Amino acid sequence: MSYPEYTVDELMCAALAAQLSDGDEVCNGMASFIPVAAIMLARLTTAPGLVWLAGAAGVDPRPDRVPASTLESPLWRDSVMYLEQYGDFWHYVQSGRHLHTFCVGAAQLDRYGNANNSIIGGDYHRPKVRLPGTAGLADMGALGKNLLYWNTSHTLRSLVEKVDFVSCPGYLGGGDERERLGLAGGPQLVVTNLAVLDFAPDTKHMRLRSVHPGVTVDDVRAATGFELPVADDVGETPKPMPEQVRLLREVIDPDGMCKREAGVRPL
Amino acid sequence: MTKVATLEQAVSLVSDGDVVALQNMATQCAPMALVRELIRQERRGVGLVCLVGGIAVDWLAAAGVIDRFIGAAVSMEQFGLCQQYRKAVETGRVRVEELSETALLARLGAGARNLPFLPTRGMLGSDLVDLNENLVLFQDPFDGETLVACRALVPDIAFVHAHRADCRGNVQIEPTVRWPDLGIFPKAAKKVVVTVEEIVDTEVLRRSPDRTVLPGFAVDAVVEVPYGAHPTSLFPAYGYDAGFHLDWVEVARDDERAQDFLRRYVVEPDGQAAYLDAVGGAQRLVELTRT
Repeated sequence: MSYPEYTVDELMCAALAAQLSDGDEVCNGMASFIPVAAIMLARLTTAPGLVWLAGAAGVDPRPDRVPASTLESPLWRDSVMYLEQYGDFWHYVQSGRHLHTFCVGAAQLDRYGNANNSIIGGDYHRPKVRLPGTAGLADMGALGKNLLYWNTSHTLRSLVEKVDFVSCPGYLGGGDERERLGLAGGPQLVVTNLAVLDFAPDTKHMRLRSVHPGVTVDDVRAATGFELPVADDVGETPKPMPEQVRLLREVIDPDGMCKREAGVRPL
Repeated sequence: MTKVATLEQAVSLVSDGDVVALQNMATQCAPMALVRELIRQERRGVGLVCLVGGIAVDWLAAAGVIDRFIGAAVSMEQFGLCQQYRKAVETGRVRVEELSETALLARLGAGARNLPFLPTRGMLGSDLVDLNENLVLFQDPFDGETLVACRALVPDIAFVHAHRADCRGNVQIEPTVRWPDLGIFPKAAKKVVVTVEEIVDTEVLRRSPDRTVLPGFAVDAVVEVPYGAHPTSLFPAYGYDAGFHLDWVEVARDDERAQDFLRRYVVEPDGQAAYLDAVGGAQRLVELTRT
């Protein structure tokens, strides 16, 4: 029986892990399997000093694998400290001195990196679809964090011209609008199942950075709900390295939680 | 003076229209026995405060107990969206006041301290501020920065679940991750009801006062309810009941089947022992218990 060289969830994990650096702290929210695997991968490879606050609750944990929930025990197994959310976690987030990077998943993302996890369609109080809600996104979006978006289903429905509701402020209307409001940080990168995207330094418009192997620029454009500029040096997203793939399959995520999240068939 | 009460007595402290702050974090630690008793006593017009609500919110919406939700999110995480809650919001039966986590904590923090408001920098730039009359932009009087004033929120009652308490209402937990439900909900609310896995002698608490998180003087009623968080988890004592969550998810999109489910597990079982039998009895509970 032969296994694929890599799968798209593994590529996404490697792309996110490359953004996580030693000397920072990073937390994860609920239903965040790919970010959790990326954090575990970074800690095992390029960023051993990265401090992980598992489920925004357990400091420096050692779960033996990605569990069935990213907001439940045993994610925070072997933590050195359990955080109290009110007195501990949100103080550190708001201090400006910690937790500089945050991974965001949302139902809709627009061309200026604003994200929506609140409602789709209709009036706010009689929406067509009620989504879970902003949770910590409206905080992370406003508190000067570097936002890394991940999206396992890059489609016209998830990458839209304009979000139905801004649950997480990105670059708002683009240009210097975010800066004028006094908000630091902002969206840095979008890692989807098709491509890696970033934001133009001047217009803050999302642009295509690299396409995943086997995906064309036209494929990405056809799945994106707005005119997508292509970076001058657009290339191919690096494949995850064999050692990264091995770690993800054998050590980090043997139960295939990331594959389930990404809709990839189990190996 | 003893604070020990029955579920029935504890929930009789809630009037129709009250604001109830309910401990919960997706599949974690909701005082589900109190939730079921609210449904059994047919409370109406309740406003529910949760940081991240799960199956409790879905049941309360399905039973018509709540007409407003104040909080940051509602989700059963790996088990998906709360479909009965979703439908209630989409048809206008439940109104949502959606707050970021820092904003909810600021509203409750102000309530706890008897202040009119507390500020946050969260939510700036989002669409959440404009549509909420309890949030106002203002200038920092020292440096002129624009901030969000979050009006004090004082729930009528807080419901939490914990590991143990004595009969005077001193509440103790095992070392665990702690959500704001314990840090701020009971301090902000006018009344506090706590369910616990067991009521113990005060001497037991004195052996580890660092584990006591609520003093009896700030607790109005304490009820002994073993597995009182089921089907949510009470770390480290027991895990969430995945099978039971899936059983609910299976019926939750269909109103009639959802009501049948509530009749079977909420309305008909008379007390916690009968409920635990209905969900599978000792066999099921042993599987959820961590050793």
